[in-house]
Amino acid sequence: MDIELSTEDLAFRDEVRAFFSENEYKPGEDYNQWRLDWFAKAREKGGWDIPKWPTDFGGPGWSPTQHYIWEQETAVVNLPWDMPFGIGMLAPVLMAYGNKEQQERFLPDIRARKVNWCQGYSEPGAGSDLAALKTKAVLSEDGSHYTVNGTKMWTTMAQIADWIFCLTRTDDSGIKQQGITFLLFPMNQQGIEIKPIITLGGAHTINTVFITDVKVPVENRIGEEGKAWTYAKGLLQHERTGLAGISRSIIALEKLKNQAGTVKRGNATLMDEPGFRAKVAELEVDLMAAEFTELRSLASASAGAAPGPESSILKLKGTEIQQRIQKLTVEAGGIYSAAWGAKPVGPSFAKGGMGGYLASRAYTIYGGASEVQKDVIAKNVLGLKRSR
Amino acid sequence: MNFELSDEQQLLQDSVARFVSDNYDLESRTKLVAGKSGFSKEHWSTMAELGWFSLPFTEADGGFGGNQIDTMVVMEQIGKGLVVEPFYASVVLGGGILRRAANQDQKTALLPGVIDGSRQLALAYAEEQARFDLHDVTTTARPDNGAFVINGHKSMVANAETATQIIVSARTSGGQIDENGISLFLVDADAEGVKLENFPTVDGLRASEVTFKDVSVDASNLLGELDGGFSVLNETANDAILALSAEAVGAMEVLYKDTVDYTQEREQFDHPLSDFQVLQHRMVEMFMEYEQCRSLLYRATLEAAQGDSATAQRTIHALKHMVGKVGSFIGESAVQLHGGMGMTEELRIGHYFKRLVVIDAQFGNADYHLQKFAA
Ligand SMILES: Cc1cc2nc3c(=O)[nH]c(=O)nc-3n(C[C@H](O)[C@H](O)[C@H](O)COP(=O)(O)OP(=O)(O)OC[C@H]3O[C@@H](n4cnc5c(N)ncnc54)[C@H](O)[C@@H]3O)c2cc1C
Repeated sequence: MDIELSTEDLAFRDEVRAFFSENEYKPGEDYNQWRLDWFAKAREKGGWDIPKWPTDFGGPGWSPTQHYIWEQETAVVNLPWDMPFGIGMLAPVLMAYGNKEQQERFLPDIRARKVNWCQGYSEPGAGSDLAALKTKAVLSEDGSHYTVNGTKMWTTMAQIADWIFCLTRTDDSGIKQQGITFLLFPMNQQGIEIKPIITLGGAHTINTVFITDVKVPVENRIGEEGKAWTYAKGLLQHERTGLAGISRSIIALEKLKNQAGTVKRGNATLMDEPGFRAKVAELEVDLMAAEFTELRSLASASAGAAPGPESSILKLKGTEIQQRIQKLTVEAGGIYSAAWGAKPVGPSFAKGGMGGYLASRAYTIYGGASEVQKDVIAKNVLGLKRSR
Repeated sequence: MNFELSDEQQLLQDSVARFVSDNYDLESRTKLVAGKSGFSKEHWSTMAELGWFSLPFTEADGGFGGNQIDTMVVMEQIGKGLVVEPFYASVVLGGGILRRAANQDQKTALLPGVIDGSRQLALAYAEEQARFDLHDVTTTARPDNGAFVINGHKSMVANAETATQIIVSARTSGGQIDENGISLFLVDADAEGVKLENFPTVDGLRASEVTFKDVSVDASNLLGELDGGFSVLNETANDAILALSAEAVGAMEVLYKDTVDYTQEREQFDHPLSDFQVLQHRMVEMFMEYEQCRSLLYRATLEAAQGDSATAQRTIHALKHMVGKVGSFIGESAVQLHGGMGMTEELRIGHYFKRLVVIDAQFGNADYHLQKFAA
């Protein structure tokens, strides 16, 4: 055991920093062009555009320490806008279960950020109980295509997605985990209707997607018919490990401390108030531990071991920490956090605090709701029998 | 000892509850919130006709002669319906100052309009540097030949947009944080030098930033004693905390009950969600905390109504602390247990949650009042 960064690690960190500062966004630049260029340049560095992909698929093959350094450094810079669905969620499934043709067809565009994907898992009747999904896919008699009918719900960014990866039911004769099939199809076609869902902060990020008689060629099926439950579960694991956001939280907490330090209380500031200070300190303590929990998890993953018990707690702890930081930001803003007009009122940081707090309530709902995640840990890690 | 409402209070509660159930489903509320003034003038007139605005004023002042208990009865139902008409801002805050500080002439001129609803009030007390301290006042009022000239900036003023008069706290002597030297003035909302910047708040209500630039008011617009405004302001703030807490308790009741209902309807894993023990326990916690808030609300309201101000003051701090803490616990839990549905604007629970978050920040949040309580 040792936590010293080696000379190579320090050199790597400098290289990462240099890359970020050389490729910073300059005001006035065409954002989308900058974004695509950024990823292209990161690619030239040897897979920096896809840090988590395995080397077989072009990934950089970093050590856990390098991943950790990357996480830390990316938390403080403005990375180009990116969505997790293609890069982080679909790609691992394609690598593990897609055939060569499918990999060659889809992975390059995912990598180049040319195609936006959305995740069509949840349905009105299938949330935590994902296997209850009902969207029907029927194979044509000649075996050339499926016809898909059903409703997907909560689909993030469906309104800008080019493609969807979708769980469908091809057989409902057995237990519900059987008969689920993984299909890919374009969003921009007849038979797909998108209805926005407005969330508490007033934003439109999620949607209901109605699918009517959409034809999907069999070539767009990943893996075998009816076997997708296994593939999907693997994918959820990827989704979850991406959601802890520990490095970002460390930065967010620092920012919050600075902000609270500008809120005057007589000769002191909000940071000197015992109640507020104690909550900040508790967060700091939890983050110090979580940072090392994440490192332990990275280390065991790179040793090729199955994710250890420590990794299962990261999503739960990480999201809870993010929510607490958001809540404290609202508290720091005081009554000004309530202002909901276009112009900021009160301390400059108060605007945005409330929207962030409200949105953060979803962190413990999506990617496996906390209550259900704890069931999973009880069963898989502690070896307990399922309760009710 | 008796925790039953009197017959009159019971009638009042029934009448407010009926008004709310007749007029306040989520859809109607959403329309009002999006409308020009942010509330319904018709509802406002109905409330006046039902006599709600006369409650806190003495019979001599043309009122009903009620006390904090009557206000609690109304505010709890307002909380259950998320009512947006400015009863709290105009009657509890504005009215609270007038009934304590106004002289006979001022009362004769103003109270009939407040009671019949033709006059709306706003109380401009908050300043950015003050955070939650009522005595931290930089707005000034300078005597000038039988008049006062007011300069300064007040923040997050509820109902300034539709108020006919704004009551403003201003420093007439002393240093920035002295309790002595604060005076209260009545200013016409359309007086020269009064500038409003209006905006919505996240809970569906409205607020304004109000700037006073060389606003000249006649000395007859001084409310109460020169330099002696703080105690009036503080007593009115206590009324406000009681009222907001009653509103919060009403909102909490809706949240926990809606959650109990929803988890019985929604099925996952071939069971209603309410079958899962961890959710049952969470709902039991929500229920227990809600009952605790109600108890403390009664305690504080009864102590205040009895006029025992030192005891009541401490209980009011305790109450506002608990309401803030429990409000976010119940709101966040309701959202969590509704899953994705809880995150949408389509269900009413999110709107109650947002109101509770804002109530925590009004007149001092949970931390602030715990500190005052422990001091
Ligand atoms: C902002 C947002 C974005 C989303 N984006 C996507 C997306 O892009 N694609 C997609 O497919 N889905 C998406 N989702 C859906 C998300 O995955 C579901 O909301 C989640 O799976 C929970 O399902 P549900 O909302 O139906 O809640 P439910 O499953 O109805 O759960 C409600 C509550 O009951 C609890 N509960 C459920 N079962 C149990 C149990 N057995 N024991 C104890 N407690 C239980 C849950 O923990 C939760 O608190 C998104 C959701 C949100 C809010």
